[in-house]
Amino acid sequence: MHPLLKVEDLVKQYPAGRSAGSKVKLLALDAVSLSIAQQTTLALVGESGSGKSTLALCFACLEQPTSGSIFFEGVDVAALPESELRSVRPQVQLVFQDPAASLNPRWTTFEILSEPLFLQRSLAKQNRNNTVSQLLDRVALPRNLTSRRPGELSGGQKQRLAIARALALEPKMIILDEALSALDCSVQAQILNLLLDLQSSLGLTYLFITHDFSMAAQIADQIAVMDRGRIVESGTVHKILSSPTHESTRTLLAATPRFPTSPPSQVNP
Amino acid sequence: MHYLIRRSLHAVFLLFGVSILTFLFSALTPGNYFDEMRLNPQISPETVAALRAQSQLDRPLPVRYVHWLSAVAHGELGFSFAYNSPVGPLLWARARNTLLLTITATLLAWLLALPLGIWSASQFGRAPDRVLSWATATLLVIPDLVLALGLLILAVRTGWFPTGGMISVGFESLSPLDKLRDLASHMVLPVLALVLSALPMLVRHVRASVAEVLEAPFLRAALGHGIPRRTLLYRYALRTAANPLISLFGFSVGTLLSGSLLVEVIMSWPGLGPLLLEAILARDLYVVIGCVLLSMLFLVAGNLFADVLLYWADPRIRTEASAK
Amino acid sequence: MPLRSFTKWLVVLLVLHGVIAAAGFFAPYSPIEQDRDRPYLPPMRLHFFDTQGHFHFRPFFHPLRLRESAFDQYEESTSTAIPLHFFVRGASYHLLGILPMRFHLFGASDARICLLGTDAFGRDQLSRILYGGQVSLLAGLLGAGVTLFLGALIGIVAGYYAGWRDELLMRVAELFLALPWLYLLFALRAFLPLSVSPLEAFLLVVVVIGLVGWARPARLVRGVVLSVKERDFVRAARGFGASHLYLLRRHILPETASVLLTQAAILVPQFILAEMTLSFLGLGIPEPISSWGNLLASLQNYSVLVSYWWMYLPALAIIPFFLGYLGLASSLQERPAAYKIVEKKSWNPS
Repeated sequence: MHPLLKVEDLVKQYPAGRSAGSKVKLLALDAVSLSIAQQTTLALVGESGSGKSTLALCFACLEQPTSGSIFFEGVDVAALPESELRSVRPQVQLVFQDPAASLNPRWTTFEILSEPLFLQRSLAKQNRNNTVSQLLDRVALPRNLTSRRPGELSGGQKQRLAIARALALEPKMIILDEALSALDCSVQAQILNLLLDLQSSLGLTYLFITHDFSMAAQIADQIAVMDRGRIVESGTVHKILSSPTHESTRTLLAATPRFPTSPPSQVNP
Repeated sequence: MHYLIRRSLHAVFLLFGVSILTFLFSALTPGNYFDEMRLNPQISPETVAALRAQSQLDRPLPVRYVHWLSAVAHGELGFSFAYNSPVGPLLWARARNTLLLTITATLLAWLLALPLGIWSASQFGRAPDRVLSWATATLLVIPDLVLALGLLILAVRTGWFPTGGMISVGFESLSPLDKLRDLASHMVLPVLALVLSALPMLVRHVRASVAEVLEAPFLRAALGHGIPRRTLLYRYALRTAANPLISLFGFSVGTLLSGSLLVEVIMSWPGLGPLLLEAILARDLYVVIGCVLLSMLFLVAGNLFADVLLYWADPRIRTEASAK
Repeated sequence: MPLRSFTKWLVVLLVLHGVIAAAGFFAPYSPIEQDRDRPYLPPMRLHFFDTQGHFHFRPFFHPLRLRESAFDQYEESTSTAIPLHFFVRGASYHLLGILPMRFHLFGASDARICLLGTDAFGRDQLSRILYGGQVSLLAGLLGAGVTLFLGALIGIVAGYYAGWRDELLMRVAELFLALPWLYLLFALRAFLPLSVSPLEAFLLVVVVIGLVGWARPARLVRGVVLSVKERDFVRAARGFGASHLYLLRRHILPETASVLLTQAAILVPQFILAEMTLSFLGLGIPEPISSWGNLLASLQNYSVLVSYWWMYLPALAIIPFFLGYLGLASSLQERPAAYKIVEKKSWNPS
């Protein structure tokens, strides 16, 4: 089966010097190649600064790679002009790490959820109300939340809202960039369950970015480890966890908090 | 040295920018000027025609700019119709007077603002600070136009100070000491007007900067070492707060220069201000350009001086410069 | 509480502006009404006690007549006492330029009550100050509007597109910021025609003032745009296919509102002052339209300065406005109470 997303030799450089015309460049992504199969979850693990977020932005077509290709359902989206990108955008959606920053604090829940609907589907007012209610149901948020602002919601509620917003355009793939890192442990478990439910009911593909191996283990089918802009190791969860080869993988694994008796496993949290 | 070179280049850039701006202003409506010149009976039609030809109105702008710039570089600032003399010497005489006023006012304002602001910061929240804050707020609310006119009326009604001009009649025959006294008595009002209008803003900023520094842990540590209060305030706190204050100094040169324009006109102080105004009303093109350019030159020089001060005062800048 | 003090100052300003806007009502006479027989009348006094010491509820005044020996000194002719009436019908005027009315706050019959004196043509100073305020305030407000519009536009272009546009615009802004504003104002004014009609002069003044001060708002708006542009909710909106215009309109511009408001509170009084300065020196609004600036122009005459001190009074009219705007700006710059560091102790090493 063709992978949903396939990346080949993706390179992303940033100018790093003080002035605009600086020659010094920062290599955020160094010839990254990977692929994600449909309706599976790939966990991208790495330390801060390894390039995970840059990769996520490139996949979501929010950053233009310096070179390389991103094949989404066979089409190289990295090469598409902005006008054609518009029709691709609904397919890949992003959930950010800090919901306080990814939701406009001045807007109400209703406005936040209707924004993608307004931009892409131009739904009539009545339909918009219905869709918003449906989205809230899907993420198990009460319907009367529509007039509240993000500041009045808890961390878990905010992130559910962010997920609901990501679902608004019925995407095929959702990228979760450290989406659970800012939440309390118990809330993390709830949201993780929600994500798994959504995946099975809606047939979603996930790219789950994290620095926490135990979380990756709970949700992912495949794991890829990133270090300084490169994919250093990839494979199934079992293989990576039981016999890591690369040094950074081992460092990250060692840093994972675990109970003294059992290693992390794909057990129901 | 790199920092100083950078700042000097910046000053040169500013000067160029100012010259371009001034030139653009004057070039955009020269038609008006020459048409109005023709209506002026003091200037002969031949002169107008010659000037018009000289200004090369039909040439493209950049060419005219270069032409004008080279003339300025040679010290040829043009000719004044009202005074019937070249602009250069006219400007320098007036410029000296403006500098005298502005520099005195700047020095005095800062000599007052620093101790007042520091003292206010050290008494933060207590009665003396509150009183001073009220006083500065009151002064802040009185604009310089109102203040200068008010002082003038005060002088006129009380007769305590001369009400205008720079020197009295018969100045030449006075002894040197009397000359100084005469000059000083004429300077009191304009300097007072300038200082009073600038003081509130300066005191507020000094107070804010020093108060922020006084909160810093390193100062409390120094306090714990038993360093005397005055030393702490002036040698430690002020040094640290120097950075933003020196930038403020550069900015204050600009506001005082602006203020001096108005004060000079109101108090009949023979500086660049009244000259500029007369020139505008008399449509004396080259004098206007010359005045504007010269005032900008002073401003740039003042800012460069502030940059040098900063270099001397802030060791971080020195090390950053030598590290490059 | 920052909000409470903001509202307080806003109300103060609205009242002040309201009085000037309703100048026709508060002013007893028309500003162009002359009385050449009585130039330079000093401010008239209102009395409650007459020459016999009786108290009158309704204030009254004595008309002024020339003193016998002097040619420009007046004295009260205590033989006549003219009462002051309130809500009188007087000369007709148009409230706010549209509503024709004839009511004035106060007035008197048989003689003119000039509470703040008159000028060389016998025009009532109080009325001229009130009407003149309309011109000066409007010039200041419009000038601030022009500057803020220009500054916001430039700030958005610089902040949103960044790159060479940003560098160029900010360098130019630095230039404008570095220059002494009054010289800049004069330079701009100098190169424009001198003798223009009052309306043209007004527009000229507004444009000139507006062009001088755009640099600081532009820098501030640019800062806001630069930081908001990188926020995740803007990224998310881009992910939904939002156009640049949409992002600016719905996400970025609302964030600039507070900066622009603070700048407005700071700029308006400065621009009113700029108009006053220009008109005072003869470069602004010409006669016969009165503005606070040209009302002061007569003070450039030494004789006026010496003998007719009440000609200075229009200068004081701006002070309550400065106070109001200063209070407004301070209340806007206060941080919310939640973030305020608890009570700074005074620094005393004893």
